[in-house]
This record gives sequence, C-alpha cells and structure tokens, in this order.
Amino acid sequence: MTALPAEKIDAVVVGSGAAGSHFAARLAQAGKRVAILEAGPARQNNDLVSSMLWARRLKSAGAPVLETGKDTVGYGFNAGSGVGGSTMHHYAVWPRLHENDFRVKSLYGRSRDWPIAYTDLQRYYDRVQAECGISGDHEKETTRPPGAPYPMPPVPVAEQGRVVASGFEALGMKVSPLPLAVTSRPYKGRANCIWDGWCDAGCPIGALANAQTIHLPQAAAAGATLHPDTEVVRILTSADGKRATGVEAVTHDGQRVRVMADVVVLAAFTIQNPRLLLASATPKHPNGLANRSGTLGRFITTHGAAPIFGLHEKETTPGFGAFGGQLLNQTHYDNKNAHEASGAFGSYQWMIANALKPNGLLGIAPTRPDIRGPALTAFMERATRHMISMTGVVEEEAMAENRVTLAKRKDAHGVPLASVAYTTNEASAALWNAAIAEGLSVFKAAGASESWNAPRASMHIMGGTVMGESAADSVTNSYGQAHDLPNVFIGGAGLFPTAGGVNPTFTIHALAARASEYLLKHWSSAVG
Amino acid sequence: MPKAELPHPTRRELLRAGGIGLLTFSLGGSLVKMSPAEAQAAGVSLSVLSRAEAETLASLCERLVPGSREAGVVAFVDHQLAVSRTDCMLMIRYLGVDPPFTPFYREGLAALNAAAQSRHQLSFSKLEDASAEALIDALADGKIEGWTGPPPSFFYFVTRNDACDVVYGTVKGFKALGVPYAPHIMPPSEWGEPD
Repeated sequence: MTALPAEKIDAVVVGSGAAGSHFAARLAQAGKRVAILEAGPARQNNDLVSSMLWARRLKSAGAPVLETGKDTVGYGFNAGSGVGGSTMHHYAVWPRLHENDFRVKSLYGRSRDWPIAYTDLQRYYDRVQAECGISGDHEKETTRPPGAPYPMPPVPVAEQGRVVASGFEALGMKVSPLPLAVTSRPYKGRANCIWDGWCDAGCPIGALANAQTIHLPQAAAAGATLHPDTEVVRILTSADGKRATGVEAVTHDGQRVRVMADVVVLAAFTIQNPRLLLASATPKHPNGLANRSGTLGRFITTHGAAPIFGLHEKETTPGFGAFGGQLLNQTHYDNKNAHEASGAFGSYQWMIANALKPNGLLGIAPTRPDIRGPALTAFMERATRHMISMTGVVEEEAMAENRVTLAKRKDAHGVPLASVAYTTNEASAALWNAAIAEGLSVFKAAGASESWNAPRASMHIMGGTVMGESAADSVTNSYGQAHDLPNVFIGGAGLFPTAGGVNPTFTIHALAARASEYLLKHWSSAVG
Repeated sequence: MPKAELPHPTRRELLRAGGIGLLTFSLGGSLVKMSPAEAQAAGVSLSVLSRAEAETLASLCERLVPGSREAGVVAFVDHQLAVSRTDCMLMIRYLGVDPPFTPFYREGLAALNAAAQSRHQLSFSKLEDASAEALIDALADGKIEGWTGPPPSFFYFVTRNDACDVVYGTVKGFKALGVPYAPHIMPPSEWGEPD
C-alpha cells in the first residue's frame, strides 16, 4: 500500500469517484502533488464479477446514513463503496442539463437558480464528452441543447427498444438514441461494448466511462497517489479559521493520520460532504465549515424513478443491451409546467429499454412481488423473453427543509452519522404520477399484453452543498469553491441547486472540468 | 439506427477472476470449501441462524420461489449474515436497513412463526398448504395481527428476493431460464459458478 504523504502536499482529494478522480487528474497533470483518499477498498477490474449478487459489493458499506423523512433518498442504493465511488455501478446515461434547468427561479418563480447558465457549461460538456466518449446522435436528439456532435455513433437498438419506440411514435412522440458514455466502437484505446447488460456489476473491459477507466489512470500517470481504506474523519482548519490546512483520516489499520495540503477537494458523495463539513466545526466555524449562510446540508433532492414494465408478444431479449437503456424521450422536458393542470412541476425524461437480468433490485423478478410459487416460475420463463421496460427520471423540487444534519449516534471513529430528512413535495409527486400515466399509455400503444409500474424509488442524490451567487444563501460559488474557505473545493452533485430531470454524472464532470481549470488559474489566491 | 448484435461467446475474451474461491463452510469440525447448494445438501453447520430459523426460512422461501431450498437459500443467507458488510451480497444491504442485518431476519422469522402458532398452534414449516399460503398472503399484504417483526410486506419482499437470487441469479438459474449468462468475468462461486 502506498504510504501517505508525510509532508505537506498541494492538494488532498477526498473521494475517488467522478468528481474526485477528475480533479486529481487535472491537478496532477498540471504538476501539483496530489493524494486521493478513498474510504472504501481498492478495486481491480477482476473484482468486477458479472453477477447481480457480486454487484452489491460496489454499493455503500461505510457509516450508515439515517433516513428520517417521509420519503427516502435511497442512500444505500445510490452511494458507492471503494475506489471509483458510485461511478463503478453507474449506468453512464449522460444527457446534458437543459437551459431551463439552470433558471428555475427566474423562469418559474420556484426553488433556486444556478449561478451559471447552460452557456457557461457548454464547452466543458464538449470537452468532457471528447475525453470520456459518448455514443449518441445529436441531430436526432432534437431536445439536446447546443454543443459538439457526439464523438461515437449511437448505441444499437434491439427489439425491446423498437417495440417501446413504436408506442411513443403511435402517440406522436419522438425517441432518439440514448446518449451513453459507453463505447459503440473502439475509442481512445478502449474496447467497444459488447452489450451484455452487466453495467450494474461494474464494467471490467473499459467500455463504460468509470473513474477507473478514465481519470484515475490519468491521475496515477501524472504522479497522484491513491490511498484506499483511508477514511477522512475531519477537515482541518487554521487557527484563524480562514483556510483549510488538510484532513485527518483513519487508515486501514486504525491509525489516525493527518494529510496536510494547500487545497482540500471534497468529493466524498452528496451526503458525506455536508456530514464532514458539519462534523469539522470549530470555534471559528461553530455551525460547521462553509456554513456561515446556514445553507449547508439543505436543498437535498433526488430523482423519482418511474419504472414502467410490460410483456409483449415479440421476443425482446431484455437481458442484453445497456443497463441505462437504448433510447431517450424528452418530449415535455423543456416546459416544467407541462403538467400543471394536475399540480405537477418539473421535468422528466424516459430512458427506454433498460437491460434486465432475472434477479436484482432492477431485475425482472422484483417487478412483480405479488407473484410467487409456481406462477413465478411461469412468469420468469415468459418475462425473460418478452419483457419491455423504461425508466422515467423525474425531477424533484429542491426544498430547504430537505436536509442533512448530524445525528447523535456516532460511527466507529467518533464522527456523528448523517441524518437525512427528505419528503417529496406535492408538485414533484404529481409529476411522478403524470409520468407513470404517460408511460403506461405508451406501453399500451406499443401493444403490450399487460403493463405495470413499480412504486417511486429514489435515483441519484443532489444538493446539500449548493452553489450560488451569494455567500448569504449558498455554500460555494459556481466553481464549488467554499465561500467561507477559499482553498476548499467541493465536487459532485451536491453542488446542484436544482436537480433537473437528467442523470447527473455528465454534469458532475463538466463542473469538475470548469472548477479545476479555475483553481489552477487562481491557485495563489485560493491558497492565500 | 444500427441493429443490435447480441453478444456471442466467440467474440469475447473472458477475463479470469483471481483470488476469490468457493465459500468456506464448517462440516464435521473442519472447514471445507463448497457451494451453498452443496452446503445445503451436506447439512453444514450454520454460522448465524438456528436450525429452527433455518427451517422456517427454507419453508417460506420454497413457497415463494420453488427450488430455493435445494438451491441453498439457507446457506446463502446464513453465510452472508456472517461476512463483513463490505463483502455482503444480500439485497438488504442497500435497502435502507440499519446494519447489522441478522436481527431483521431473526425477528421476521420469529414473528412468522408466532403468527403460525397464533393461527394454527403450529410452527410455520408444519403448516398445511392452504394455511401457509393464507399466512403468506397476509404477510405480503402487511396485515398480520400482532406482528412484532420488521414490516411484514418488506420482510416478504426481502426473503422473496433472497430466494430469487439463489434460483435465478446463478449460471444454473440463467441456464434453466434459457438466458445466456454471457459474463465478462465468471463468478467463482455457486451464485454463478459454471456447471
């Protein structure tokens, strides 16, 4: 195991997922001395066993998160564990946020605005897209905001996709190829995907743009060191409270160590970032670091997953393809008031024709928990050949009262656990209902012999360390730089002031690309 | 749009998993490597569950998912409850249940037996078909009078998924369904070990 740096380094990065690995690569490539501290275990490609059971080892295994609200954010399912973080089990659906997603307050008088517009992020989306590779068709994806064409042709569409597409078309709606950060052809030395549907178990062939495929190797090649099983328990600050000085961590053998650095990049996932900041309170920062505004931990949000299933007379081979799907529909996306007659607010998209394995939470068997015994055997034999599916990604409104706080209970290292109080508001619940109704009508129009939906579940977690124009009501500026601690940069979806209705990882990368560029340009003023 | 070309074994380079063996079970005082189905057949000692709990779990799961008793659902659940949370493969690890997970199973199984005793003065595994199925209906609906375990419909959901895992989530299970397994990395133990 690589020894932790004994001397002060340029940057310590907390977390090795999408944001952490991206920051580490950029800073190390610029000549900075970088150490990445990862709470979970090391992972090699050979650990990514093709099995829906083995896949569960990639899920959260750290300190428990207490979910105390009426609804949940599904921390255990959404968070990752180990090197690569949640990118290791992410499905690489990489649409861009739309222009209206950045201006929810200005356009609709609700929730919050981002401190940047789409145009501020466009070239970073383009840059990340070229680096990581996205398969898609920007012309057919007519709802996509402006930007460079996708660098790879779209992913293949199999019978499941064609069947569901016929339902959308029958109702006058268009589908387009799903933008996936998965190789549809060899790309920059990476093999092309063979569409065997094991994305959830982690992609060991480098076809899917996980951290261990893209940015961690870049960071290592540039000299950054990676330290698994090293859990950060506190962010350290100077006596005057004006700068962070490093972090305190517990190593795999239980030793408490300090890693001192000029810059701290906090990229430990949405819930853990505010937990660490809150738990690092000092007399100079009595309410937690970066919390002068009182906003830290607030505006936690998620996407309501709206899964639709059906059976079709055609053979659909649902076990193959990509977990994220084959096709995309965003018909109503650009009008967040499209369903206002039912009290709904927000945007949603459909990820069409998800690969479905027989078992697992997103597999075939749990979709019909009412079936058991010999009837289940018969259902499984039919469904593994004839099932169709799609998943709605439904925006949930960012609300101040949905928040992370510290629980009284502590983990093994004495750090208070995170407690998440989350309740979906009525407008978001109404939007989920509208999406479900539309989805079922699409499957009916596609000729499904029967169709059904699963209950709401949470997909993706955002907010809690939101960015904003003003230090009075946000945690960071638009670069993820903490208003109160200019040498602390926060990465990840926790920065999102509002959720949009698209998957967050592409935007996490675009923000990290923009922020790391800014940090390198303004290093001296950040470090002070 | 191009049409999908489905994976074909001749196209793939199978990566070999290293360092992960069969599971270790205790048999006759010595530790042996075997699959959960083999462990079930050999009657290996349990690490966490009692014999009575194991029998209740096996009876429940067999009614939920036929074949799960023989496929080793008891050995699977018992073993996974004994390993670290990092290594645990049970679905419950990401369903929002506060670890450790043993109390969830123990209390759920005890509550199921208590309901069977209350209704029929028998343990769950001794119930006749109609009585057992009626009790499972109530479990799934979350309506069992005097229930003191985890939420009954959630307990049903979790145990049904455990049973699905050992019956459908393996190479054998895929084969029985006629679904190509098509792995990148072949699982090295029974929950996916090749024939």
